[in-house]
Amino acid sequence: MAGSSSDSSISRLRFASGEGSDGDQTHTLICIFLRGGADTLNVWVPYADDAYYRQRPNLAIPRPGNARDAAIRLTDLYALHPSMRPLEEAFKEGRLGAVQAVGMDNTSGSHFECQDQMEHGDAADGEQAGGGWLGRFLRVKKRVRSPLSAVAIGTALPESLRGAPSVSVIERIADIALKAPIGDASVLKSVLGSLYGADSTLLGEHGRETLSLFQRVSELQEHPYTPENGALYGKDDFSAGLSEVARLIKARVGLEAACVDLGGWDTHFFQGSASGLHSERIKTLATGLSALERDLKSYRARYTVIITTEFGRRIYENASLGTDHGRGFAFTALGDRVRGGRIIGGWPIEAVDESTILGPGGILPKVDFRDVFAEVLSSCHGLSPEECAAVFPSAPLTLIGLMA
Amino acid sequence: MKITRRSLLKSSALSGVVAILSGCERMVSEAGHLLGEAVPEVIEPSAGESIDRDFHLLSRAGFGARPGDLRYLRSIGRDAWLEEQLHPQTLRDTACDVRAERFESLSFPAGDAYEFRKTVLRAELTRHALLRAVYSRRQLFESMVEFWSDHLNIDLEKGDCVYLKPSDDRQVIRKHALGNFQMLIRASATSPAMLVYLDGKSNKVRKNTNDRPNENYARELLELHTMGVHNGYTQQDVIEAARCLSGWTFDARRTFALNQNDAFFRPDWHDDGSKIVLGQAIPAGGGAGDVDALVRIVCTHPSTAHFIATKLCRHFVSLSPPPDLVEQTAETFIRTEGDIKSLLRVILKSEAFATSQGQLLKRPFKFMVSALRATAADTHADAGILEPLHRMGHGLFQYPTPDGYPETELPWMGTLLWRWNFALALSSNRQPGVHFDYKPLFRALGGKVGSLDPSSWFAHFIGRRPSNEEVGAFETLRSDFGKQSAGSPEGVAAMIGLILSSPAFQRC
Repeated sequence: MAGSSSDSSISRLRFASGEGSDGDQTHTLICIFLRGGADTLNVWVPYADDAYYRQRPNLAIPRPGNARDAAIRLTDLYALHPSMRPLEEAFKEGRLGAVQAVGMDNTSGSHFECQDQMEHGDAADGEQAGGGWLGRFLRVKKRVRSPLSAVAIGTALPESLRGAPSVSVIERIADIALKAPIGDASVLKSVLGSLYGADSTLLGEHGRETLSLFQRVSELQEHPYTPENGALYGKDDFSAGLSEVARLIKARVGLEAACVDLGGWDTHFFQGSASGLHSERIKTLATGLSALERDLKSYRARYTVIITTEFGRRIYENASLGTDHGRGFAFTALGDRVRGGRIIGGWPIEAVDESTILGPGGILPKVDFRDVFAEVLSSCHGLSPEECAAVFPSAPLTLIGLMA
Repeated sequence: MKITRRSLLKSSALSGVVAILSGCERMVSEAGHLLGEAVPEVIEPSAGESIDRDFHLLSRAGFGARPGDLRYLRSIGRDAWLEEQLHPQTLRDTACDVRAERFESLSFPAGDAYEFRKTVLRAELTRHALLRAVYSRRQLFESMVEFWSDHLNIDLEKGDCVYLKPSDDRQVIRKHALGNFQMLIRASATSPAMLVYLDGKSNKVRKNTNDRPNENYARELLELHTMGVHNGYTQQDVIEAARCLSGWTFDARRTFALNQNDAFFRPDWHDDGSKIVLGQAIPAGGGAGDVDALVRIVCTHPSTAHFIATKLCRHFVSLSPPPDLVEQTAETFIRTEGDIKSLLRVILKSEAFATSQGQLLKRPFKFMVSALRATAADTHADAGILEPLHRMGHGLFQYPTPDGYPETELPWMGTLLWRWNFALALSSNRQPGVHFDYKPLFRALGGKVGSLDPSSWFAHFIGRRPSNEEVGAFETLRSDFGKQSAGSPEGVAAMIGLILSSPAFQRC
């Protein structure tokens, strides 16, 4: 029922934005960044690894079994954190999968540097390509592009979208309107258009973007949103952001990349195990994603979700019942094009040798994160090997087999 | 938990809160008016082709000019003005104090703030900071408070930080804002709020255990607070620094201890072996003194001088400051052993500063504060005015990660819509939490009834006359409003709102 009313506004919007039927088939890459360095060892639990239990006497997730807080068995090696239960089905359907021991060459252990490096898609040493990896993708892959091709949910533009031809940073679709003191805002928009039109800097460019954004979304604002199939999003900002993304996907506005952040993963202190701080973050993540899956059930060919973080955490727990900054992590992907139902590579899990200069005690990275990003882009957006090389100029670009 | 006289007084005061507040705020506004906040009878804005140097100094060293500031600066000269600002205690600030010193929760030692609700503390901290920035005559001081609050960022939402940040604000940030850098860092290192925010309070290395130190604070001390990443420390230095700091902790439940409001040192949690930090040995047995040795070693490292000099030059001059100015500032840092006043003199008196007009983007907080100052608006910083600040992603003391709100432009580019809406709401007196009457400014600027000439308004808000393109942009407004409601309040409001929305006002 909710669908019919929004359908009519959708077609008008498509008409208004002058987009052809090609826009209907746009695949949307939803990029979720777990900020703070997520402990993926307690998400994709390597229950067959005794070292995991030895090094985490307090934090390890109990082996699969009948206990209420036991991990959910997936394979002979891996199980899921109990708070990931809403996504168990997607794994069984082969839509959810992971790559173990993904990482980068950066050994600084700095959140900011590693987030930047990952979002820029660069190596620590070597020439930087300029801009963010999604920004470069949107430049490199030449096609007729909708003005709403890239959206970041939140208040700040993520580095990964730096350099994109057009980016909209929004919290809620409904927020977007200029409130005039009297009458309608067209006169004000016209003055602002002249003022920002004459400004050749980044500020002028974003001013013009903002003005065209009003136009683009005014149609979407006319109706309240009801998710399909009884999907229940959480009441948190993360779920709210995902539901806005779902709306934009359904509205066929030509959305190619959407960025949503989920913070709170820097668990140095009192991380918890099957319950506790870390578990609550996982619950927020799993609730949002399973709602998105349900809401978009009829649109599954049209989106892929990837979940990344700047680094994993150390295998051993610290004295304050937390984990410190490590290196490698498990990269997660969800969608029809994902060859899921398995965890690729990285077994046995190897720790970084503390005596080396590689930085202490995390998982030894075996897969360059840029290889994963490149494979995702070529699968979702049809990038050729040459185009992938243009997005990640200095990456090895080895095939992982995560994506169909 | 103690039931104190304070909490009793607080609850009795709360029962009459509505009546007391509105009456009180009206009185405060009137007092402010009498104490010099009123718009002068005549304002002579700078109407040159480029931004006036006096106006520039007011925009950069502080949060922008209030009506009357420019005339005062012109009368005593830039050097004398700067010296006054570098000695804020010599500037009487009664009008601001009347507005900003009403927040009871902010005046208690760290341990006692637990008597207040989180929502009260959060709101009062932000209101206090906003009111100081808008109304204080000590503008350079308040700018440095903002600068160090980002540099030594603490997110209220982590752990008990909301209870502890008020004392950090007083005893770390405000106490040392224009003082000595090493003392600032030393104060921060054992500030209860910082011990909670970066997990120092649980950094323990007990004897005969496998305890590993919690490195969180140690890493940020080197990476963000002093030396900067890749500037000469190793992972081993981080570990050694964490060992130095082990044992410093905070416990709000120690109500019977004498020093309950402070951080304290637990010898049994301290790794008392010898350490080597940045090549300098700290002998075994240093105990609680290890933190002093550590702070001295990292603060006197040349990388720290360079890192802080660069950051200050970026903040006050340009995102790519001239290398020789950075060098000169770093040399001053080393020579004066981190005297913050001396650094500011070098930067704010430099030629590079004087010729850098309009090159920096105002972050949302500065955008809002400068608009409130330039319009001489009346606010008590209640929830209504904090809302747009949060919408623009700049809620004070709420940046989640220790690097503080960014100084770069790109992260703020998504805020233009909210800036425009704030500007239009303020100028038409529809912004909740603010009262703005344009008429005193209109008269002071020599406005004629029926006139929608933006020139003098533009000069007042931007510090120069509008360019031909800028004048042209307002023609649409003049022709549209001119027909039906020339010079009507709505027309003037729209014009002011658009000037505050223009690219020129987003910069300083």
